[in-house]
Amino acid sequence: MTAPGNTHGAAPARSPAREKWAAFVRNRSAIAGLALIALVLAMTLIAPSFYAVDPFDIVWRPLAPPGEAPAVPLGSDFLGRDVLAGIIHGGRASLAVGASAAAICLIFGIAVGAAAGFYGGLVDEGLMRIAEFFQVLPALIFAMALVSLFGATLAIIAFAIGVVSWPPVARLTRAEFLRIKELDYVRASRAIGASDRRLIWRIILPGALPPLIVAATLTVGGAILFEAGLAFLGLGDPNAMSWGLMIGANRDFVLEAWWTVTLPGIAIFLTVLGVSLIGDGLTDALDPRRYGSHLRHRTRWRGQGR
Amino acid sequence: MYDFRTHRHSPLGRPGGRPSGNPARPLPRAAALATTLCLVLAALAFPAFAAEPRSGGTLVVAGGAGLRHLNPAVQSGAHAGLGVQLFAGLVRVDDGFRPRPYLAERWEISGDGLSYAFHLVPNARFHDGTPITSEDVAFSLAVVKRNHPFGMAMFDAVDRVDTPDPLTAVIRLARPHPALMQSLVPLLMPVIPRHVFGDGRDPKTHPMNAAPVGSGPFRFKEWVRGQHVILERNDDFFIEGRPLLDRIVVKFFNLPSVRMLALEKGEVDYYPFAGVRFRDVPRIADNPDLRVSTRGYEALGPLNYVEFNLREPPFDDLRVRRAVAYAIDQDFLVNTLHGGLPRPGYGPLHRSSPFHSDGLNRYPVDLDRARKLLDDAGYAPDAEGLRLRVVLDYPPFHVDSLATGANYIRAQLKKVGIAVDLRPAADFPSWAQRIGSWDYQFTMNSHWTYPDPVIGVHRIYLCGNIRKTVWSNTQGYCNERVDALLREAESTIDVPTRKALYAEFQRIVNRELPLYFINEEPYVTVSRRYVMDLPETVWGPMQPMDRVWLDR
Repeated sequence: MTAPGNTHGAAPARSPAREKWAAFVRNRSAIAGLALIALVLAMTLIAPSFYAVDPFDIVWRPLAPPGEAPAVPLGSDFLGRDVLAGIIHGGRASLAVGASAAAICLIFGIAVGAAAGFYGGLVDEGLMRIAEFFQVLPALIFAMALVSLFGATLAIIAFAIGVVSWPPVARLTRAEFLRIKELDYVRASRAIGASDRRLIWRIILPGALPPLIVAATLTVGGAILFEAGLAFLGLGDPNAMSWGLMIGANRDFVLEAWWTVTLPGIAIFLTVLGVSLIGDGLTDALDPRRYGSHLRHRTRWRGQGR
Repeated sequence: MYDFRTHRHSPLGRPGGRPSGNPARPLPRAAALATTLCLVLAALAFPAFAAEPRSGGTLVVAGGAGLRHLNPAVQSGAHAGLGVQLFAGLVRVDDGFRPRPYLAERWEISGDGLSYAFHLVPNARFHDGTPITSEDVAFSLAVVKRNHPFGMAMFDAVDRVDTPDPLTAVIRLARPHPALMQSLVPLLMPVIPRHVFGDGRDPKTHPMNAAPVGSGPFRFKEWVRGQHVILERNDDFFIEGRPLLDRIVVKFFNLPSVRMLALEKGEVDYYPFAGVRFRDVPRIADNPDLRVSTRGYEALGPLNYVEFNLREPPFDDLRVRRAVAYAIDQDFLVNTLHGGLPRPGYGPLHRSSPFHSDGLNRYPVDLDRARKLLDDAGYAPDAEGLRLRVVLDYPPFHVDSLATGANYIRAQLKKVGIAVDLRPAADFPSWAQRIGSWDYQFTMNSHWTYPDPVIGVHRIYLCGNIRKTVWSNTQGYCNERVDALLREAESTIDVPTRKALYAEFQRIVNRELPLYFINEEPYVTVSRRYVMDLPETVWGPMQPMDRVWLDR
């Protein structure tokens, strides 16, 4: 970590991105989050090639406790499958669902929010009524209905989670657009004849991005939890090992075999914690008020107060 | 009966799946459990001798959601059981499937086996006071024949029912019918009042099905949908001094776990078809307030199996089906996974059937043989050892046997190069719809064999019963020899002759594997200790509870 005095002393000319990165790395919890996620990514992306046990293979007696045998270092589940293999291989599906659900959610949310905020009027009214329609449906039940209807595959699960969680992103985008489109630089661009497309994508959206990036990170964490929740209710993809599926399949045995449920639970907990910490760090780092000249003083003061 | 004391885990000890090391350690819990059970059994032996049955009290039964109505004449399945308390039948059966007098106090069977004369008890009356006559018997049989899901299997052979006098009903058959007596129990042919149900309306949707005028030991009092059904003692029951209970209350709970909690709390006294995981059974048996039993479901004879769609590759090829059979280790499924609670099944008849054959091919696990069979069938392994990819469906019931079984089968078939994608069903109707429309490759399945194969087993194998509805011959199996054997068995009375016919039938099915049998589903009954003389003959909870009493 860099000492605050050094970064803010002689004020050399620095790019905004570097300044934000510096603010981010000053935040200890954000670094902890980053480290956690790096660990999880390493485990799910690299470790499977070192630990090649198929998580669906029955390799030992059912419900063996951790440490009973080298074949199952973290114990076995109700079928005799290796819990360690499940955690290592299962992370891929959990993270993939989390990331793609967040992507779907963002694409949907930004498109709808941008259109509503930029055009206003009837378009706004119509799109916001649709968003409200999705918001009043209980998210979990709606997602369960979608998954039951179209089948429990990873793609459908990611789609279902994305579909039920886009309205808050849309509202956030809309609010940012409403605010930014009245700013002078936008008016100026409009006055010199910028097309709508240019205004939306090149002029307004970059200004609206910081809160959206934060929302995106938090959505990833939420989506991972959501996938676990669906799997817990028996709606996980039975053909792709995931942490949620492990918990769902073994939940009836939690009293006699805590490791079958607790260990994947800890994996989910650490991942979501990591993502949330990064999100918090980004919130602070991307907060534009920290870089206005009249606020720099306050930033420095906060830095020194720690 | 399952011996709860032997419940312990055995290690994997099979070629192909053998891990190193020795994990065979009996759980200390098993020993403790055995001791407790012995003590409890010893303690119970004495009060059992001392107590005399006495009348009075309310029995609270845990039931599941989904009760449509209370008339067993026009429905089958677990929910029909409640109607047995409301309606009497001509006979009931004992432990050995032998018919015993009930509404009929005696009967004569003609020498040619084509005429059964039943003499009704003289003082029997419906719950509204109208006497029960032979006219009602004839009417009930006609209603069941036309409207019950197994109506034709049970009574197709019945030509007519003669009623020479009000207390004599003579069932005349067009051909000998060995399953007739088994079909006359209250569950399958309840005697219903003609003056109520004979008004020309469709019996399936008759309004009185929800509040029937019955003939059995208990009369209908109240049904609050989704909440409870209350039945009260029929003071005018034709068996003197019965029933012993004043009242039966059936409380409905959606979740099996909630039913179990209600029982443990003492809110409920009796929980038949208990929805408990097999592994929980020893823990429940540990509770000194509860009694656990797996007896009393023999007449249902539930069998679990893998059903192959025989119409299309790869399972149209017997070699592939045999490869699947050789890849699956029943001993692992039954003993290692489920602690020995279920019993393995090898053929189309349940162990409790008098026609059950031992000595069928058990397809002992042999992965090399399975691979060889797949080679012969033309499914050579690719670079990654994969030979073919198939989809396995499974229904949402019998979770321990079918869902867990499907997961096990996936792991096992992978070892011989068959990649299995599981396709679970969101609910029963969507699975039944898929299987009923033949839109599957292979599926986990289960059916009740009922007390006579004519009722419960023939439907699965007859060429003429290849229909688009679940629990018919959905796999599309057709073997002329099997058809001939079953046709002959359904009109043969002589038991040794039938036994020979069914022995050949079982051998053929065991060889051709339209279905590969996994195990017999154990149903569990859990009750409070003070509930005495619970029905544990072959029909279990689906027989009259007129002898049940409460010792408290």
